[in-house]
Amino acid sequence: MATSIAATKRPFLTLPFLLPSLSDSLALGFRRNQSSYRRTKQRLRVKPDASFDPSHQGRDHIIHNPPSSAPSVYHTPSKFLPADDVRRASSPTTVTTNAEDLPGVYKSMPERKYHLTPSDVEEIRNLRLNDPMTWSRNKLAKRFDCSPVFIAMVCQASPEKREIQARILEAVQSRWGPKRRMAREDRQLRREAWGRDA
Amino acid sequence: MKRLQLQRWSSSVLGPRTRTVNRLHQHMYGQRYQSTASPIQTGRVPEDSIIEDSTPLDEKLSEIIRMSHARHSQLQYPSPTVEAAQQSAKLAALHARLYLPSRLPVETLARTLVDASADSNTDFNNTSLATLGHDLLSYYTTEHLICTYPRLPLSVIFAAMYAYAGPKTLAAMAREWGVELASVPGGEVDPGLLQFQRLEPGSEVPDTPASDTVRPYEQQLNWRKTVTSKVFYDDEFGDPIKGAPNTTATGVTSEQASAEFVRAVMGAIYLHAGRAAAKQFFEQHFLSRHLNISELFNFRKPARDLTRLCAREGFERPVAKIISETGRKSRHPVFVVGIFSGNDKLGEGAGASLMEGRERAAVAALKGWYLYSPLSVRVPSAMEEASAAPWKPVHVDLGEVVV
Repeated sequence: MATSIAATKRPFLTLPFLLPSLSDSLALGFRRNQSSYRRTKQRLRVKPDASFDPSHQGRDHIIHNPPSSAPSVYHTPSKFLPADDVRRASSPTTVTTNAEDLPGVYKSMPERKYHLTPSDVEEIRNLRLNDPMTWSRNKLAKRFDCSPVFIAMVCQASPEKREIQARILEAVQSRWGPKRRMAREDRQLRREAWGRDA
Repeated sequence: MKRLQLQRWSSSVLGPRTRTVNRLHQHMYGQRYQSTASPIQTGRVPEDSIIEDSTPLDEKLSEIIRMSHARHSQLQYPSPTVEAAQQSAKLAALHARLYLPSRLPVETLARTLVDASADSNTDFNNTSLATLGHDLLSYYTTEHLICTYPRLPLSVIFAAMYAYAGPKTLAAMAREWGVELASVPGGEVDPGLLQFQRLEPGSEVPDTPASDTVRPYEQQLNWRKTVTSKVFYDDEFGDPIKGAPNTTATGVTSEQASAEFVRAVMGAIYLHAGRAAAKQFFEQHFLSRHLNISELFNFRKPARDLTRLCAREGFERPVAKIISETGRKSRHPVFVVGIFSGNDKLGEGAGASLMEGRERAAVAALKGWYLYSPLSVRVPSAMEEASAAPWKPVHVDLGEVVV
């Protein structure tokens, strides 16, 4: 039905000599729109998902196209199920076979060396206590070939140094304008919302 | 086509005011009028009434005198008399609306509506019923939460307890039940209204803990109060226990009074209709309220907590990996990050940055751990039923991750 209408309409619209008197003024008005019925149908004719592929049709299979949403948190991963739970044996659904092939979030995962001895830790503490301005966390980490987090775990800066650092931060922040301050605060709020999953 | 008989249909659809009554019906039974005001309670006539010896008086006059005497006798009590409960339409409606067991008399229902601030006599106010109901509510809610989600952290249990049986929820329930508040309590008030002495406008609601709490070092306001200590020293919501009510404050808020009423109803059902009816009432009115427990969590450092959890449980170290991404160089990229322990995916999260995706995935993994629920959940109070199956121990978890 639709095609027959299109077939009768088409020559009428594409033959401007049928409307000789209005040719120029109405040409713009009769220009064809992008949203014709046929074109819309054509756009909607997308390729079906691979799981609908007819090559499967020899045998029975389940078409499973999961929605693009995060899995429910009420669905406990099978690794987290206790040993006496029957679901542990029955549903190995959370096991991904290609976990090794996926790229990591970090460019390189630092290798854990566990090479520091108690005497090294003692030295770190001495250095940080005696000359806190020189021996910052980053410098100590570089010298002892460990992460700054580890330095923070084993020692803490002296109160004077922390006070100086707080004053420096205050001086820097006092130069921020309203835009930057609000942007920083918003960023902090967004970050806190991650933990609430909001 | 058959003609519709609208009059017959309309009786079930239309309200009583707009109902079309045919002429014959009207003629036979007369017009019926309804008033929204409750009828004046006519109590029993006192013995020494003047009506006995004034029989020749006009009947209307004697009626007026009797009413005024009844009103006079009502006014001397701080709360409605017991006899008035049978006359109250509001009470009967509330009893029917809540589908309360018939063994619970309306007189007790009337007593649950009298707050201690309205009538200080403990024989006539709802304090004792509310105490019992409060304990029952706490017990049933706690056992439900702990048996259904055995791994929940304590702070989440406190929050869930507050959401199920906290005063705000109970006040909302009383409002949903259609319980109206009396402006001022008194003996002449309809017993179907919730009666309590209101706080004076502008007066402060006392929310500081009473000075005689059992918690040691209460004066040290800067000291950290651990969640574990709240189990010992605080109430079931993790809030400090309020001491005896302040004597200087004369009234209570409507929220407190409504909460006391709902607790008292629970206690009254338990006393009159028994344990099974109370349990059923709890399941129908409290557990049926939807609470999404996964929204009660708030993690500060989810990735670190997850690492500690995996170390504690002996799983492989969790690693964040990109499952899919789009528009990395655009203004609005989306990264779907999964957290894997070995080959098992623990959680998945999407975010606008890799950090956000990783944090959200860690949150999802931790929620997956904490929201574990056994397949067949039985609560200890199920053993109270006759012919209950033998008890099997519930899952007990090590506890939350402490970093």
